[in-house]
Amino acid sequence: MAFPLPRGITPSEIAFLAEMEMVTIMPRQRLEGLELLGGPIEPIVPPRRASLPLWLALLLKRQRRANILPPSWLHPGSLELILDIEAHHNDYRHAFSPPPPLPGQPNVRELARGHEPVARPQYTPDGERYFASPPFLPQNAAESNFDPTQVPSLPFHWVEISSMLLDAASDDLTDPDQIRRLLKDIREVRMAKMRAGVDVLDAAATGGGGVALTGVGAMELGEERGFLSGAVDNLRKIGASKEQARREQMAEQRANGGYDATQDEEEDYMEF
Amino acid sequence: MGAMPQAPSPQPTTHTHFLASASPTPHIPMDIDDILASVDRGPGASPAAAGIDHQLLTRFWVAERAVSEVLPWPAPLMERMMDRVRLQIETIEDLAASSADVDPNTTHNPNLNLRLSILQTDLARTQYLIRSILRARLAKLTKHSMHYLVHLASRTKNPLSQSQSQSQSQSQSAVPQDSVPDISAVSDFSPLSAQESTFVHAHQSLLAGHYGSAFMGAFPPQLRRLDDNAGGTSMVQGPDLKEVVFVRCLGTEVPVLVDGEEEDFGVTMRMGDVWVVRWEGGEGGVEEGEVELL
Repeated sequence: MAFPLPRGITPSEIAFLAEMEMVTIMPRQRLEGLELLGGPIEPIVPPRRASLPLWLALLLKRQRRANILPPSWLHPGSLELILDIEAHHNDYRHAFSPPPPLPGQPNVRELARGHEPVARPQYTPDGERYFASPPFLPQNAAESNFDPTQVPSLPFHWVEISSMLLDAASDDLTDPDQIRRLLKDIREVRMAKMRAGVDVLDAAATGGGGVALTGVGAMELGEERGFLSGAVDNLRKIGASKEQARREQMAEQRANGGYDATQDEEEDYMEF
Repeated sequence: MGAMPQAPSPQPTTHTHFLASASPTPHIPMDIDDILASVDRGPGASPAAAGIDHQLLTRFWVAERAVSEVLPWPAPLMERMMDRVRLQIETIEDLAASSADVDPNTTHNPNLNLRLSILQTDLARTQYLIRSILRARLAKLTKHSMHYLVHLASRTKNPLSQSQSQSQSQSQSAVPQDSVPDISAVSDFSPLSAQESTFVHAHQSLLAGHYGSAFMGAFPPQLRRLDDNAGGTSMVQGPDLKEVVFVRCLGTEVPVLVDGEEEDFGVTMRMGDVWVVRWEGGEGGVEEGEVELL
């Protein structure tokens, strides 16, 4: 068998992906710039902070060559705020707390002031448009000046990054035990929401329909992937004949002259 | 956060690719904006071609793992990646050779081993991505080999002559091998690469030969075909395009399609949203790059 893994990336592959997230480090020694296949690494000169992919930061951390500055959301204060939004905020009773905005996407407060999202593409070497997304956005950088207007939010790879940092760099975090407790609470609140959301899965089983999971984390998606896609695929098979009937009805309406003129002709047709 | 170097990657191959593909001018004015923007957005959004290619490869890997059909082979991207991997292996070998030359007592570069291990880790991660992509594709190809062969063969100029030859071979001495479509005249292998189409043809021929000698030779000739569609039901099974996938909307607004068309009852995804939708509904957006698979 060429490849035994099931469809959809597995938890260990998700962790591999999370290791591409950029984090901020405080180096303890110099390192020349490197041309990596994952993009160039700038020269590292202490005591200047540097941005590195997580896998490289962990490699340096394990050899005591650098300290990792925790991302701004991985502080007890930020996590308490996020937990409060997840558990008590009325708007997010049935939804996950909002994820960090993509480039060009307004944050929650700007959205309230009427800012429109405008996607900001980059261009690939083939000249095609490319929209960056996690793990290639600086969502896990340590912010040098904390912005109080900025609501902290959980990045896409929050489960993996927090567990890797707690594992390898807990001495760089403020109050790691408190962070562990808060992360566990957040995870439980969100898992409960995920389970409660199973009720609406039927919407994803119809053509053109879908179920929104905005704000979900990569690992949370990974653990529910098999169940969710299995459930939706079975619902779809159950509802296949109903959908077919609806499609035929739509096609008929269109053949009879589009949606605007359907009313009368529909009635004529009914008399037959 | 320091500014990234703004020049394209100094690797010679990267540079030529970058220039060659940038020749039809429309997006050149954007480059300046992109460079400026990337300084704001940090190294994750660097315009350096190597970084972007790595991000594209990663996204393609996730996508290929997420859907049940074989995605269109990104030939230019894979060529660039293979060139870079080749160059990187040479760089690592040169470095390793130079570290062996230096007398360990008088070593003037204490970071050499560290740099080597970083370069090797980076190389291994990229090789893992490429290998995983290829294996995932091979698994899909072997599972639905007949489907992809029929799909490729349907592209040849004269489908009529093909069906005639099929009906002739059906007469007396039909063997299962006859039903392996001939793809020697096909020039456009999309969604497969040329090597993959050779592989899938060889695979199906072996399989058909084996079936023939193992048990199908005992069947009546008219029951020996592997692409029978008696009774209007084709026995060739393809991937299920209605399976659901998890997607994130990256464009400003993207509608979920029904059978490749925009319908009134289809939902609209907005930027940053994560949705569970049918693959056929999100496929168009993924091809445009406005939707990514998770």
